[in-house]
Amino acid sequence: MTAHPNRLHESAARLPAGRPRRAAAGGVSPAGLLALALIGLAALALPLVADSYLLHSCIVVLFFAYMATAWNFVCGYVGQLSIGHAMFAGVGGYATVLLFTGLGLSPWLGLPVGGLLAAALSVVVGYPTFRLRGPYFALTTIAFAEMIRIWVENTESVLGIPVNGAAGLTVPLAGESLAALQFNGKAPYYYLIVALLAGALAATWALERSKLGFYLKAIRGDRDAAESLGISPARYQLVALAISAFMTGIGGGFYAQFFRYVNAERLIGVDLSIDMALMSIIGGQGTVFGPLLGAVLLAPLAEITRGTLGGSFLGLHLVVYGIILMLAVLYLPKGLIAPLRAVLARLARRGGAR
Amino acid sequence: MNAPLLDVRGIGKRFGGVHAVRDLSFRLEQGEILALLGPNGAGKTTAFNMIAGFFRPDGGEILFRGRDIARLRPWDICKAGIARTFQLSKPFADLTVVENLMVGGFARSSDTAAIRERAEEIADFLGMGRQADTEVQHLTAFDRRKLELGRALSTRPVLLLMDEVVAGATPAEGQEMVALVRRIRDRGITILIVEHVMKVVMALSERVIVMESGRLIADGAPKDVVSRPEVLKAYFGEQYAAARA
Repeated sequence: MTAHPNRLHESAARLPAGRPRRAAAGGVSPAGLLALALIGLAALALPLVADSYLLHSCIVVLFFAYMATAWNFVCGYVGQLSIGHAMFAGVGGYATVLLFTGLGLSPWLGLPVGGLLAAALSVVVGYPTFRLRGPYFALTTIAFAEMIRIWVENTESVLGIPVNGAAGLTVPLAGESLAALQFNGKAPYYYLIVALLAGALAATWALERSKLGFYLKAIRGDRDAAESLGISPARYQLVALAISAFMTGIGGGFYAQFFRYVNAERLIGVDLSIDMALMSIIGGQGTVFGPLLGAVLLAPLAEITRGTLGGSFLGLHLVVYGIILMLAVLYLPKGLIAPLRAVLARLARRGGAR
Repeated sequence: MNAPLLDVRGIGKRFGGVHAVRDLSFRLEQGEILALLGPNGAGKTTAFNMIAGFFRPDGGEILFRGRDIARLRPWDICKAGIARTFQLSKPFADLTVVENLMVGGFARSSDTAAIRERAEEIADFLGMGRQADTEVQHLTAFDRRKLELGRALSTRPVLLLMDEVVAGATPAEGQEMVALVRRIRDRGITILIVEHVMKVVMALSERVIVMESGRLIADGAPKDVVSRPEVLKAYFGEQYAAARA
């Protein structure tokens, strides 16, 4: 590639012939692929050895990892903060349940339909706010999400559709049924969330190399410069937000099927929105694996503080989050994944030198 | 005679009570380097930003290859074939040099491999081939300015608008920049520069236009224009111009 005949200019001749080839240029190194394959195999084999409690905990962690990855798809790459992503999960979750109870539609279809509805909502939120500069997007997302949560909590039914207010909706028990996406064991749910997470990570990996990914990073870098290079910030941010909301909506549908229950406080509440954002930011936003890392570290931590200390101090996990966030911003502004990457890069280089 | 590449016809812009640009008209021929001069506050940057789509003119039209582009948004101006640089360079700091140079390529193509290859060619053209994989935040100020120029080139422009090419550069760097701009023109790109440094204007441009208080006050060859009384008056005041005359 370095010895290309149609160089623009003679200055090419003065360059050393072998500019070091970049690992990032084409894709993943063989060692990286091998590591990914091993991790994937281990993940797939886990239900064979884990007990029900461990498997349940793993599903919860992977659910948060998936949600944080979906959040990161737009917010991490474009540098906008959404504190209302739970509204998309809420739309997906409620839609999946209501389509099943009302129309008998299988959740296998309910999940993508819920995702599409969430994407539609995201366009309503994003269309007016992405035109503006500054914190309007963050403010609008939190306002919209809280509006929807409060409305759902105080509405028994709308147009004959039972929303059931603060009590929430239960998914009617269908027993072991593939069509109804209900299983007695945990393993099928585990495989489903692993597949969803793998899909979200693959989408993010593809994003990094795509036109959309470059455009989002450009908008994050400097909006004026991005505009002068042919980028309409409102348009591309909206496309990314819709994809992110679609993935988040599917996550909400998964939540509904796994717990067989949805309510506004848990699924649309600001807690979930903050979880998604913080896991992403602390893990390393704008990277493929950062949100996954953040979820693996923070989700169990939240569970522990909530379980052992939360009884007496409501919201203690948020205090813990806050402290970790401050430390991360101060000492690892690029997220916990940054030092990890440096170590991996050093290992790869040593491996390459051999 | 062919139609000019850029034909600015009577554009104006008012900010509240300030009439920044009034009834400005000028033409730019294919292959030219035209310099836009004027003292601080003359309306140069406002005029520049109207052509680049960052401000909407209150009136008038801007014909580019015969098509009115006044009131188009910046990204559509870019797609029409006009690229710009900024007075203060605005790099994407956490991307590498090559990645910065790739962003603009997507306006013309969707082939990522070809875009990367072209970005590497532009890096070589700028003499920044060695820094191709350096994150831009680690570059010197002058390298960032060169990158700003390269990034504009990455959109394959027909017309390049440059706002203050050598601001803050040392004399040696200024010379390098002038040589670079010449080479860009030699590749068939028409150039409009807004510039303060007379040495640069003299070295680069075949024709200059001078603005003062939002109006065009002179248009001609650099040597002639700078000795005109109205230009001297605009730059140095009434008395200096009178003393020279």
